[in-house]
Amino acid sequence: MATGELVRMEHIYKNFGSVQALNDVTFTVGHREIVGLVGDNGAGKSTLIKILSGAHPATSGQIYFDGKPVEIKNTWDAIQLGIETIYQDSALVPQLSIARNLFLGREPLTGPKWLQRMDKRFMEEQTRKLLGDLGITKYINPDTPITSLSGGERQSISIARAMFFESRLIILDEPTNNLGVEETHRVLRFIHNARDRGLSCIFITHNIYHVFQVVDRIVVLRRGKKVCEADPKHTNIDDIEKVITGIYDTLPERSAG
Amino acid sequence: MEASSRLQKAMTAPSVRKLIAAPEFGPLVLLIVEIVVFSFLTSRRAASDPFFTIFPSFLSATNITNLLSFTPELGMIALGMTLLMTAGEFDLSVGSVFGFAAIVMWTFFNTGATSLEIGFVLAMLISVAIGFVNGWFVTRLRIPSFLVTLGMLLVARGSALYITDGFPQRTWNAGQSVLSAILVGEFSIGEVRIYASLIWFILFTIIMHYVLVHSKAGNWIQASGGNAMAAIARGVKVGRTKVLLFILSAMMSAYAGITSSIRVSAANPNSGDGYELEVIAMVVIGGTALAGGRGSILGTVLGVLILRVMRNGIVMVGVPGLAYKIFIGAIILGMMVLHSSIERRTGNGR
Ligand SMILES: Nc1ncnc2c1ncn2[C@@H]1O[C@H](COP(=O)(O)OP(=O)(O)OP(=O)(O)O)[C@@H](O)[C@H]1O
Ligand SMILES: [Mg+2]
Repeated sequence: MATGELVRMEHIYKNFGSVQALNDVTFTVGHREIVGLVGDNGAGKSTLIKILSGAHPATSGQIYFDGKPVEIKNTWDAIQLGIETIYQDSALVPQLSIARNLFLGREPLTGPKWLQRMDKRFMEEQTRKLLGDLGITKYINPDTPITSLSGGERQSISIARAMFFESRLIILDEPTNNLGVEETHRVLRFIHNARDRGLSCIFITHNIYHVFQVVDRIVVLRRGKKVCEADPKHTNIDDIEKVITGIYDTLPERSAG
Repeated sequence: MEASSRLQKAMTAPSVRKLIAAPEFGPLVLLIVEIVVFSFLTSRRAASDPFFTIFPSFLSATNITNLLSFTPELGMIALGMTLLMTAGEFDLSVGSVFGFAAIVMWTFFNTGATSLEIGFVLAMLISVAIGFVNGWFVTRLRIPSFLVTLGMLLVARGSALYITDGFPQRTWNAGQSVLSAILVGEFSIGEVRIYASLIWFILFTIIMHYVLVHSKAGNWIQASGGNAMAAIARGVKVGRTKVLLFILSAMMSAYAGITSSIRVSAANPNSGDGYELEVIAMVVIGGTALAGGRGSILGTVLGVLILRVMRNGIVMVGVPGLAYKIFIGAIILGMMVLHSSIERRTGNGR
């Protein structure tokens, strides 16, 4: 295995009954690399990253993390490795406060052994600090339920949470769904920030124009197969669009460099 | 004028506004209104009755004793149901388990198979099994809790009827047992007779409130009901949380059923019939969301009191008891309007 790789998924197959969602996909993410995963509806993007985040098992294939073979049987295994997933249908619990969401699953505890409660003071302090770091300028109370935040604020908090717990790989499934232009840019800036702090990221989207602005590498899936990989610096955006929709089978020579 | 401006200031103080916006505020006001109205109406009738016997007042010791005897039993079921509903599931089998557990205990005892205490332990263990089966079907087989617990409702009720051939079980030698003293021992405060079950209910209330609001388990319960996918992605064991809550719900129902059978000295295979809907009504009146994610133990206690006081009060003021359901229905609808309007006002901007 190349030492520069954080994640390597090798020869992944996934069947849902008779539906073959993934067909011999090999997919890698380097250290401090942002990979854009694109493809049409039903191409298998979500399925691929759900295997990586432990939401469901692959039918066959092997995953390496930091060069070592690993078995990811459930989400907890993925979290232990430092893989944080932010799903397209929101990664937050709308009824809970920002502070409770931030520490969900990793609640700091205080008090005597048999009467342990959540350390709410610590949770609120940290949340306040994090909201400051986020550059959310207007004052937001850590007690605020998620329902009263905008879509972009929610996404930013999800990403900030992953950074806070020092994850090594953040997976964003359609993170810019339902976001306005302004908010989308904020999230994209955020992702850049995350990379500068040493994280890797998989960024899934339909909108190839979003991908082009931020990613180091683009991977295209079509009907369960990986059809091409490209470096956006040396690739023509229209060509990729044509690969996604199936007009081209794969990238033409002039782009593939 | 100064007083009115002071009042205005008090009304807009953050703590007061918070109180008014709290989902428990509406139920609290309703309960107070009920008590005031019933006390007023019954005291007028009582005054017209020279012997205070035909029309006892709502606030008389006899009536308060009455109110406080059965309320803790339904209340315990409602506490378990509150946590379960906050996690996004509910349990229709509570009424059947209420009846079935008492039958199990008394059958063990009456046939001479075990002491009453061992019978109690066995009945509680059976309730644990019932809760586990409910939870397992819902979380593992992904069958909606409506269907699973409807099935369990029928199985438990059917078992109770089958074991007893439909006849009530003998219960009259419970008086001397340690168990009955612990569960429903009586004592008096002034003229009001109190059962130990009230103490247990208060204790359970405090514990469950603490768990829901302050503990990590409480965070998991709310997250499981609010957005299970997100919770799972964060490593929250949603399935296990729900199974444990189904077990809790069944245990609370069994405990309440056994308590009730000792208190009224009757173990009837049909007892508890219909409690599931009354309990769910109490829980939602208290502000817990039927869809999960948001729950309040204090609200549930208020919901329990609202319905019990209503049932007791309208009989006392002379409205035919059969009309009770009209009032419950109206209260549920009214409270749902209130809760949804509060929710719309505070957040949920999108
Ligand atoms: N749990 C499931 N059971 C059965 N089939 C599934 C399941 N999940 C996904 N599929 C199928 O697998 C294929 C790939 O789905 P996937 O969700 O990975 O697509 P996607 O690339 O994320 O699409 P989109 O862009 O619309 O989110 C689809 O044909 C889908 O119908
Ligand atoms: Mg998808």
